[in-house]
Amino acid sequence: MILALLDKLHGRPVWIRWGLFAAGLLVALGLPWSLYPPVATDILCWGLFAVAFDLLLGHAGLLSFGHAAFWGSSAYVTGLIALHSGLPFYVAVLGGAGAAALLALPIGFLAVRRSGIYFAMVTLAFAQMVYFIANQWGDVTGGENGLQGIPRDLPGFDLSDSFVFYYAALPVVLLGLAAAWRIAHSPFGRVIAAVRDNPARARALGYPADRYKLVVFTVSAFLSGLAGGLYAVNHGFASLQEVYWTTSGKVVVMTVLGGMGTLWGSLLGAGAIVRLEDWLSTSGFEETGLVTGGVFIVVVLLFRRGVWGTLAHALRPRSGSSTPDPEPHLEHDHGDASQPVSP
Amino acid sequence: MKHRLSTVVATAAAGALLAGCGGGGPSSGGGKISDDKIVLGVLTDLSGVYADIAGPNSVQAVQMAVDDFKKKYGDKAVTQNIEVIKADHQNKPEIANTQAREMYDRKQADALFDVPTSSAALAVQTVAGQAKKLYFNTGAATTELAGKTCNPYTYEWAYDTYMLAHGTGSAVTAQGGKNWYTIYPDYAFGQDMQKKFETAITGAGGTIVAKDPTPFPSDNYSTFLLKAPRLKPKPNVLGALQAGGDLANVVKQYEQFKLKDKGIELAIGLLFDSDIKAIGADKLAGTTFTTAWFWNVDPKAQAWADRFKERTGQRPTFVQAADYSAATHYLEAAQKAGSDKAADVSKELDGTKFSDFFAHNATIRAEDHRIVHDAYLAKVKDPAKASEPGDYTERVKTIPAAEAFDKPSPDCHLS
Amino acid sequence: MTSFLQQAFNGLVSGSFYALLALGLAVIFGMLRVVNFAHGALYMLGAFGAVALADTTGLGFWWALLLVPLALALTGTLLERLLIRRLTALDPLYNFLLTFGIALVCQDLLRMKYGAHSQPYERGPFTGSMDLGLFDFPRYQVFVLAVSVTLCLAVWLLLTHTRIGTIVRAATERPELTRAFGIDTGRWVTPVFGFGVGLAALAGVLAAPMRAVNTGMGSDLIITVFAVVVIGGLGSVFGSVLAGFTIGMLQALGNLYVPVLSQTSVYLLMAVVLLVRPAGLFGKEEPA
Repeated sequence: MILALLDKLHGRPVWIRWGLFAAGLLVALGLPWSLYPPVATDILCWGLFAVAFDLLLGHAGLLSFGHAAFWGSSAYVTGLIALHSGLPFYVAVLGGAGAAALLALPIGFLAVRRSGIYFAMVTLAFAQMVYFIANQWGDVTGGENGLQGIPRDLPGFDLSDSFVFYYAALPVVLLGLAAAWRIAHSPFGRVIAAVRDNPARARALGYPADRYKLVVFTVSAFLSGLAGGLYAVNHGFASLQEVYWTTSGKVVVMTVLGGMGTLWGSLLGAGAIVRLEDWLSTSGFEETGLVTGGVFIVVVLLFRRGVWGTLAHALRPRSGSSTPDPEPHLEHDHGDASQPVSP
Repeated sequence: MKHRLSTVVATAAAGALLAGCGGGGPSSGGGKISDDKIVLGVLTDLSGVYADIAGPNSVQAVQMAVDDFKKKYGDKAVTQNIEVIKADHQNKPEIANTQAREMYDRKQADALFDVPTSSAALAVQTVAGQAKKLYFNTGAATTELAGKTCNPYTYEWAYDTYMLAHGTGSAVTAQGGKNWYTIYPDYAFGQDMQKKFETAITGAGGTIVAKDPTPFPSDNYSTFLLKAPRLKPKPNVLGALQAGGDLANVVKQYEQFKLKDKGIELAIGLLFDSDIKAIGADKLAGTTFTTAWFWNVDPKAQAWADRFKERTGQRPTFVQAADYSAATHYLEAAQKAGSDKAADVSKELDGTKFSDFFAHNATIRAEDHRIVHDAYLAKVKDPAKASEPGDYTERVKTIPAAEAFDKPSPDCHLS
Repeated sequence: MTSFLQQAFNGLVSGSFYALLALGLAVIFGMLRVVNFAHGALYMLGAFGAVALADTTGLGFWWALLLVPLALALTGTLLERLLIRRLTALDPLYNFLLTFGIALVCQDLLRMKYGAHSQPYERGPFTGSMDLGLFDFPRYQVFVLAVSVTLCLAVWLLLTHTRIGTIVRAATERPELTRAFGIDTGRWVTPVFGFGVGLAALAGVLAAPMRAVNTGMGSDLIITVFAVVVIGGLGSVFGSVLAGFTIGMLQALGNLYVPVLSQTSVYLLMAVVLLVRPAGLFGKEEPA
């Protein structure tokens, strides 16, 4: 979260950057003190998931409506490894993330053949297929009963206390976030942005656009898998909910709310939604979809930069070079570039 | 002297610290009520598909049990501080998991009740085991809770898939429905029901002519309804093991294909009052199913249901009745033990035999914490004969407690 | 053989719903470049409209079939004017997101009023079954198929034989050319959106007598319909409709012969289509 701010605040005095970095780190370290620890860990998991998703949406311009497939398949694989092998949970989570990346290869290979809106529909449909398979394949996944009793093994540590587990999970999430940031700001990340902005030109320059898209899709799936695996270990089980389309929808909402393309806004979005749901489930007002859906509509209509983007835009240095992205940039379906004429 | 003083001070400080710790933690030793307060938590589906069979009225049922208990014991109650808290799990196991933890750890819940949906119930059972606090399941049907995943903190109060399948499967076969065509949704609940139905049907001398897994969820069952009359030999019972919205689809289409006129009767695996309301009692009239209880099964039940209606404006479901029954027994046991510690309460409960308005001839089995009690083979009442809008069910026969539930599972070892 | 034909016919009936929804999605997409995520929610609203009409005014199925699609089409035009229009100048994904939010809100509003369990609907016409020569079939389901086929044909004739149709079709299938000819498609945007919504609502009303009416009925369906239009090619109205009927049939036969694949077959077919003809069976190849 912090590193990005550093990036966004180019031209600001150094002490502000480091101050924000320190503040972010403090928030991350202090979260389970102010929140119920399992909820704090949920925020970490969803936060990493949303950042991984934004790597794809904000940086490659690809809207995946099926990211639950990766989060969920990793939850299952992580659970199976942890249940049957007794290996430290870090290994299990890594295994789950690897499985998610493997699953992303065929899905991504087919999905990147279409762009824009089609990409969204295709990923949604494939994720639904993964859901049906998980539901039918009850011997392995536990069907709708889910995979129960996933242990939190780590030799030498007792992680049964959720407060302790938060600090065991934090390094994984920080590493994941650092990886996402690194990729977004690497030469590879710049090629991805170029492919997003002008695929024809990128192709003319000799970049195989589809292959770049597939790589970023797989990386995003891997990071989503890290998050999903941790989530399964945090809760002690993996359920069908993890691969259902509502989970895909939730991560979309988080990222859009936080600010597409800001990477770190997704963390804010994830924190806000997890807190909101937690609060709604005990407050007596049960219409979560109404609240999140309503907020989401307002954001899409009026604040397309999201929370982070709006703030960064308001705080940007007014002099000379302004932020390059006045509105989040999504990939255009260049085949049908025509816009309806609005009178 | 100076030295001795400092030793005294240090010892006193350590003692005070220890005492402080002891007071803050869960009370050790019997005969204590933690925080001088008993908290009953209702973890349920407040707005989803199970909100009608459990939901807000389950909270009311537990509150009613608490009120009755307070009235009964007055000043002699084990504590004057009995509180009911609620939370919504939205039928999602991960929310159930977090909420259960929060209720046990932070809100000092001593026992949880209700929890519809098997996946959520299994998640809560695990948390109960970790928190070493009690959980009374009344909402979930899976037999795993008292089988593979059983633990000493969980009690199964109301019903399970064995009860549903065994009651309907053997009774319908015994009444002459020898040839069955069963269709079951292709997921854990459906597969489990299918196996249990098969055992019951063949055990009663019937045959399964064919069985088909159906997609889940699905809105088109015509494939199977078309197939049914063409099977050889022609089945005389269609066993529909779908639940909720899927069941409504099956019944609507069963009606359109006029299978009843072709001599194929409908038997249903799991039927709640909310399903009867959704499908329409006239469409279902005469359909056989098994239930743990219904509100006008006998005068005692009806008397309680009348009180419930005064309170909520609605008739109770068997889940809500089981919540009241379980909460009452929990409080009575805590009263007797003078403690709300799980182990003390369990000691009072285990092996008890009782009959109340909900559970007749009931035993709290010490082996697996399954409460076995009479169940009812029932059929959907013809709406013309209904006394009021919620009067859906009539009893065909009582299934005695010993037959209604399976023997303790060999997979469950409580001690 | 009779059994096979009967099952195939049954598939066409469930394909009727896919076709009506895919048709609406395709014409809306054609005019607005918007994929309407709320299409499933509108189907659900159609079914609830029939239930509500019967509950409040006692009006039966035929009135519902007329009034509910009209009312929802009108709501659709408002939706287009007030919300969707604001985003049409931007990337189409924004409207996809917007309609996703609308779907969530619709679903929860209905759940607040009705709860999540199914609602009874007792007003369906045609209770018996009819003889179709080789086999009999429930009269109502035959009616559903007839309505769907008639509507799809009517829209097809409208598109090929009227001036409005030509404009819509041109905008759908040859967007660059339409603009080059200076044809103003703008004033047709709102009516076409309303029409597409009306079709979804009509499908919902048709579903009420034969399917469970609950708030979740649209959300799973819309995902299948997305796969249908990817297979058919969203740019092609004809392709989307044909894919709708074909996939209905495929699923029904799949249920019978390969039950393991009954739910995944659509997606497997989509994968194959993406592999060999990424633009869909009837879609035109786009320069990506």
